[in-house]
Amino acid sequence: MLLPLDMLKAGEHADVAEVTGDPGWVVRLAELGIREGCRLQVLQAGSPCLLQVANCKLCLRGSDCSQILVSPVVA
Amino acid sequence: MPPVTVKIALVGNPNAGKSTLFNALSGLRQHVGNYPGVTVEMKKGRFTDRDTEFELIDLPGTYSLAPRSPDEMVAVDLLLGRRPEEPRPDVILSVVDASNLDRHLYLTTQVMELGRPVVLAVNMIDVAKAQGIVIDAQALAKETGLRVVVIQANTGAGLDELRDALRVAAGAAAPAGGPKLPDAFSDEAAALGEKLGAATPEFLTRRAILDVGGYTEQWLVGTHGPSLTATLTATRGRLAAAGCAVPGVEARARYGWVRAATARAVTKPTQRAVTWSDRIDRVLTNKVWGTLVFLVVMFLMFQAIFQIATPAKDLIDGGIDYVVGAIESHVTPGPARSLLTDGVLRGVGSVIAFLPQIMLLFAFIAILEDCGYMARAAFLMDRLMSKCGLSGKSFIPLLSSVACAVPGIMATRVIEHRRDRLATILVAPLMSCSARLPVYSLLIGAFLSSGFSRWVPGLAMFGLYMIGFTVAPLVALLLKRTLLRGAPPLFVMELPAYKRPSLYTVARRVHDSAWAFLKRAGTLILASMIIVWAFLYFPYKDAHGQRYETLIAEQKEKADEAKERIKEVTDAGRPVPDDLEQISTDAVREANRLNAEWKRGSYLGQAGRAMEPVFAPLGWDWRIGMAVLASFPAREVIVGTLGIIYEAGEVKDDEAEKTLQGAIHAEWNRDPAQGKYTIAIALSVLVFFALCCQCASTLAVIQRETRSWRWPAFTFVYMTVLAYVAAFATYQIARFITDHV
Repeated sequence: MLLPLDMLKAGEHADVAEVTGDPGWVVRLAELGIREGCRLQVLQAGSPCLLQVANCKLCLRGSDCSQILVSPVVA
Repeated sequence: MPPVTVKIALVGNPNAGKSTLFNALSGLRQHVGNYPGVTVEMKKGRFTDRDTEFELIDLPGTYSLAPRSPDEMVAVDLLLGRRPEEPRPDVILSVVDASNLDRHLYLTTQVMELGRPVVLAVNMIDVAKAQGIVIDAQALAKETGLRVVVIQANTGAGLDELRDALRVAAGAAAPAGGPKLPDAFSDEAAALGEKLGAATPEFLTRRAILDVGGYTEQWLVGTHGPSLTATLTATRGRLAAAGCAVPGVEARARYGWVRAATARAVTKPTQRAVTWSDRIDRVLTNKVWGTLVFLVVMFLMFQAIFQIATPAKDLIDGGIDYVVGAIESHVTPGPARSLLTDGVLRGVGSVIAFLPQIMLLFAFIAILEDCGYMARAAFLMDRLMSKCGLSGKSFIPLLSSVACAVPGIMATRVIEHRRDRLATILVAPLMSCSARLPVYSLLIGAFLSSGFSRWVPGLAMFGLYMIGFTVAPLVALLLKRTLLRGAPPLFVMELPAYKRPSLYTVARRVHDSAWAFLKRAGTLILASMIIVWAFLYFPYKDAHGQRYETLIAEQKEKADEAKERIKEVTDAGRPVPDDLEQISTDAVREANRLNAEWKRGSYLGQAGRAMEPVFAPLGWDWRIGMAVLASFPAREVIVGTLGIIYEAGEVKDDEAEKTLQGAIHAEWNRDPAQGKYTIAIALSVLVFFALCCQCASTLAVIQRETRSWRWPAFTFVYMTVLAYVAAFATYQIARFITDHV
């Protein structure tokens, strides 16, 4: 089951299934490590939200997060 | 035999420790290089190792070589040897963070396609070790086909090995391996390459296909005509049909290759260890606690700047007064002396007095930035800033502008979106800076203190600061909806791990900002001060052809003599005769009268009187108008100018300032037209000063940061119009209230 990233709560883990939207934005996120198949954790929900991706923390705005589809994982 | 010079370009993600490595390699042998047409600064350094001379060039940190702006294009062009002023680098040094290897290697794979030998420096190995990450450098070298050196730039570990690797790499072949994009893509790139001709390097041809709407595409459409847009769209369509759609194809190929290369060379713990940064962040990024800590940090910062810098400022002011006094007692009065004391020393001195504040502010900002806290502040403030069309990254520059707009505008360099950066630069001067304080305190003291409750002065001061805090976001929003319209930039920001700030980085920032400031004070401000001085000095003879300076000096001498006599008499224990007191006060009054007459007749005074109709709607007479005109190069000038005009002599200490307040108060009340509306006039002047752009250094720094005269001109015009309209409204409303209450 896929959810937009902004539906997750703080502390939840998920695998990124698909990043949609403007190609430039998709590339930008891929450069920062958010791409299909990567695992992330939501540290803070809301806008801006705080994510842990591999070994770095990224913050994004909620409206931009809705373009990232994830499948939640029980860590 | 002269040493061979090997040119090395440093490439890496932001926060990969690139600057630390650059400093460790080149030490003090470095300078900043600017490039025509762009705002980026690239540091260059040199070092010698055995008989090889190395030249390092530190490119701005970037996540990838997909240029999105002219600034990023400069870096790519430089690496490809397409900049006329910069030969192509011989070796590319790719710096990566050992604890974030996968993501950092993404950029390395792009660097491998530039056709130059690449050395991979795996930095911050200590941080990785602490997290249980083990990196086998030999295996990594074998898998990637690159020369790999494990280093720790902040301690200097591994640097000898790195220098050896760089020397060996110079003249070696470019890496042969690297990620392979699907054949369909290579064929399309080759076909497009033929169409574009040999002038376009293969690297850029591929970028044009991959980066939809990127800068490479824009640039090529600009040189090859709009038909290229259709060609690129068709190419991307065919690729999508062949199952390798842009943009996913690049990320898949690169990350796939990186994963395979690191699989054997890097061992990671299954569970990511919780680091110190994580623990600190639980507090500092928390909406409630983080915001509280942020407010405390900001308060301490401004408090410290005020507490530490004020004595230093007073010291500079005192030093200038001493020099002025020395010159006045040794040089005969005349244009030369006046130019030196009033124009150069007092004019430029009043500006240089702000140097300690600027250095301290920059030290604080450099420390907060270097330890990683600034990113957290931007994260916390993003919600607030997004309401006015900006992002969290604009917050710190605006906050710095409360001390001084010059460093504030320089701090906008961290904002990557051009439109956001411009909007921030254009509204930064609206924040109430420290130079407005003297004006505020003078007029509030004169008109809003006596006869009011004791809360009024403080509230008035607070209100004036609030004008800036509310108008700046509104103007930013207006600009973002009109002149700087565009899709809201997607906001994504990395929060780097906390680290101890490096003394070297902080010292360098402080030194650079101080030097830039002094250079401006010595050129632009000096020139404008001399002009204002000249307009206030000439013509310098009265109706009888007597020099005002000589006449004033005579009166001052008279007063001094009388004071001497009074002292003699009191020392002898005799009563002071009344006429002696009278002589002294009369002489002082006469000197001030002469001074005022001189200023009234000066060119600036004439201009003030000619422009009276312009000032009338704001409730100002020619004297206020003239003082405001004189203070356009630097707003602090108004206090001194008002002192000269209102016959209160020079304003130097609190006592004299009270006299000036009293003098202005008395003058305004004496005039039947003004007397009734003194408070309305004071408010109108205050509001004007709160919004007007009366600071040549701010305009100069806007010119420098935007590389154009258009934006400083725009800033000056919009702020002056805004200030005029607001002062007009304030005066008329206040007058209406005075009449009807």
